[in-house]
This record gives sequence, C-alpha cells and structure tokens, in this order.
Amino acid sequence: MSHKPIQTLLNANEEWAQSVMKDTPDFFARSATVQKPKILWIGCSDSRVPESVITASKPGDIFVHRNVANQFHLHDDSALSVLTFAVKEVGIEHVVLVGHTNCGGAMACIEAAKGVTTNSTASTPLTRWLRPLTALVRSLDLSACSASEALNKVVEANVIKQVNNICKSEPITTAWADSGAKRVTVHGWIYDLAEGRIRELVVRDAQAKL
Amino acid sequence: MPHESIQTLLNANEEWSQSIIKDSPTFFTQLAIGQNPKILWIGCSDSRVPESVITASKPGDIFVHRNIANQFHLNDDSALSVLTYAVKAVGVEHVVLVGHTNCGGAAACLQAAKDAAADTDASQPETPLTRWLSPLIGRIQSLELSTCSAAEALNKVVETNVHMQVDNICKSEPITTAWADPNAKKVTVHGWVYDLARGRIDELVCREAKHDENSA
Repeated sequence: MSHKPIQTLLNANEEWAQSVMKDTPDFFARSATVQKPKILWIGCSDSRVPESVITASKPGDIFVHRNVANQFHLHDDSALSVLTFAVKEVGIEHVVLVGHTNCGGAMACIEAAKGVTTNSTASTPLTRWLRPLTALVRSLDLSACSASEALNKVVEANVIKQVNNICKSEPITTAWADSGAKRVTVHGWIYDLAEGRIRELVVRDAQAKL
Repeated sequence: MPHESIQTLLNANEEWSQSIIKDSPTFFTQLAIGQNPKILWIGCSDSRVPESVITASKPGDIFVHRNIANQFHLNDDSALSVLTYAVKAVGVEHVVLVGHTNCGGAAACLQAAKDAAADTDASQPETPLTRWLSPLIGRIQSLELSTCSAAEALNKVVETNVHMQVDNICKSEPITTAWADPNAKKVTVHGWVYDLARGRIDELVCREAKHDENSA
C-alpha cells in the first residue's frame, strides 16, 4: 500500500514551516507560548470543509471541533468539553456552528428516516450518533421536495437545531446569565460546497434572550 | 460587542473563493460531487494546529476530527462514528493521530494528576471536561516524572498520550475489522507530534495489519 499521501503531507509540512520561518522568523516561537483565538468553529469532518483554508486563517485564529454532520449533542462529552474549554479557558467570543451542502451524514439520515423504525436493528456508534438528526428528518415535511431540496432543508434544519442545543448548554447559559462574563455570540452558518461560500443563517446572543 | 473577527472571517472567505474560481473555475463544482480523501486526521482542537494549513492541504485532502487533547476513547461515539465513516464510507487509507507540544489539555491533566497525588483536589464536581480528561489523568499517574523538569514532563505526557490513543484506535472495531479482512482496503495508523515551536510534524509510531496478525 502506498504511503505516498503521507510522505506528501510530511514534505508539504516541511516546506510550509520553512516558508513561514523565512517570512516571519519568530512566528512559531511566539505562537508556541499561548493561543488567543476569538472563534470556536464546530463543523463537519468532511474533507471539503477545512475551516482555516476556506477562511484564509492562520494558526492561532480558530479553535476547532469537527465531527460527522456538525453535531452538538447535549449529552456528548466531546463537544461539551470543547465548548467548556473554549469559553472558560481560552476565552473565545464567537461560536460558529457550520453545516454544509452535500453533507454525507445528512444524506444518510434522510435514507435512514425512510426506513422502518425498529429497535431490533443493531445500533452502532455511527447509527447512534446520527439518531437525533434522523429524528429531526422525520419531523420535517419533505414530501413536496425534490431530493436536492430535501437535502438542503435537512442541512439548514440541522444547523438551527445544533445552534439551539449550543444555546441550551451550560457554558453558554452560564456566560449569558452572568453580566460580568465575557460576551459570547452563537452563529449558525452554511458552507456552500459548489460556490466555496459561507452563508449566515442565524445569530444568537444574550441580548436576544432577555 | 464587535463582530469584527466574524466579519473578517466572512470577508476572507469571499476573497478566497473568488481567487480559487479565478484560478480554477471548476474547483468547487467538482468537489461538490464527492470527496475522496486518503487521510483521516484526529488531532487537538488547539487553534495553533489547523491540519490543512500546516500541511498545505486543499479542501478534499483530509477528513478531520479534532477534540480536546486529541483523544480516541473506545466508548466515545463521536470519535468512533468519525473513524467508522472514514474507513467504511469514505475509504481512507491512513489514520494519523496527532498530538502537539504545549497542549493545554495535557497540561491540565498533568496538574490534575499532581493534585490527586498531593491529595489537594478536594472532591471537585465532575464536569464534561474532567470526565473527558480522566483517562489521560489516570495514565499520567502511572508515569515516572519525578526527575523531569516541567517542560520534560509535559513532553513525556504529550508523547505517552499519542501512544495511548494510537493503541485505542488499533483496538477499535473499524480497524480490527479492516486488519482481519484480507479483502478490505489497507489502513495504516500513525502517531505524530506537531512541534509548535518549529512548525514541524515528528513521526512517533506507525502500526499496520502485518504486526497485529501475530496477536490474532
């Protein structure tokens, strides 16, 4: 089996590091001491949505959590620990929850929602992970939609649902209830793969809740 | 509150997409059809380790999972669903587990282990973050760090963590299944450490089916 993609990656890293050192000799030494990003990005693991490339960001700009179908489950220690660390330790000011068009996870849930609900189907980590989104799909009326309209509707509903979850989480409700705490705003975005463009769907902050 | 950082991001995205379309007009429409990355990167959420920037990779190159202290817990549906999807649906050939120097999560675990040893951690309420870090804290308690400086201790923890997570990945169902099936696509698991001060990736360990067949 070819390790070519790995060697390519390592060679590219070497070249990148050298070119950064040449341009800004103290970049790495400075960034090694501390990170101060203002933004937490919660997005999909999809290879086509690398947050720092599509926003031309540099190391140090964005704190990142990526999983299948950009989920934020309120019982998920992985996402909750990221949000907690980001808000309380790192001091980020914006949480952006980013969905994207042509999401494989969303497509899988649309298919799963068509199937018969049966508890006898063996649950796997992936089916368990997508259960909330599958339930969301079932709650939508997609009967008059074409396949691509349905997918877009699911991707959008998913973003809104995850943003709602984030707003109900302890780190956010605590920050919003405490007038002395640093302000945190929660955004819901969609990245359109075919255009390479981010579109804002929803914004929530403490003010709106009052 | 200023949304300056957000506006900066959105403006940069607009410029980036325009420059891509100018250079390669079909880049996005082609990518929208499907993804075919060969690599799954499991790394830390730390803002200083954006996998695609530090490897000069393009959209479509790397499937990514990032969490606090680059963990792969065998009871974590988040990481397991990523690995399952990456291996079985996307068809990646390499899984790279990437730790990094000056990891805040690792440093927090080191402190928690010291507090536990000195018995100064008067029962802290359990939080998602403390639960998340407890396997690593437990592992640190078995390390011999008494003769290490603070910096040496942190480096030792970062490396031990990488080995620990690579071991977990190799025990997971998607990997054991792929390695046991001679017809399955070959998958190699790598453990790396990204050195923040040099901007360089250092390879620590590499595991593949051959070595594990002996334990079958």
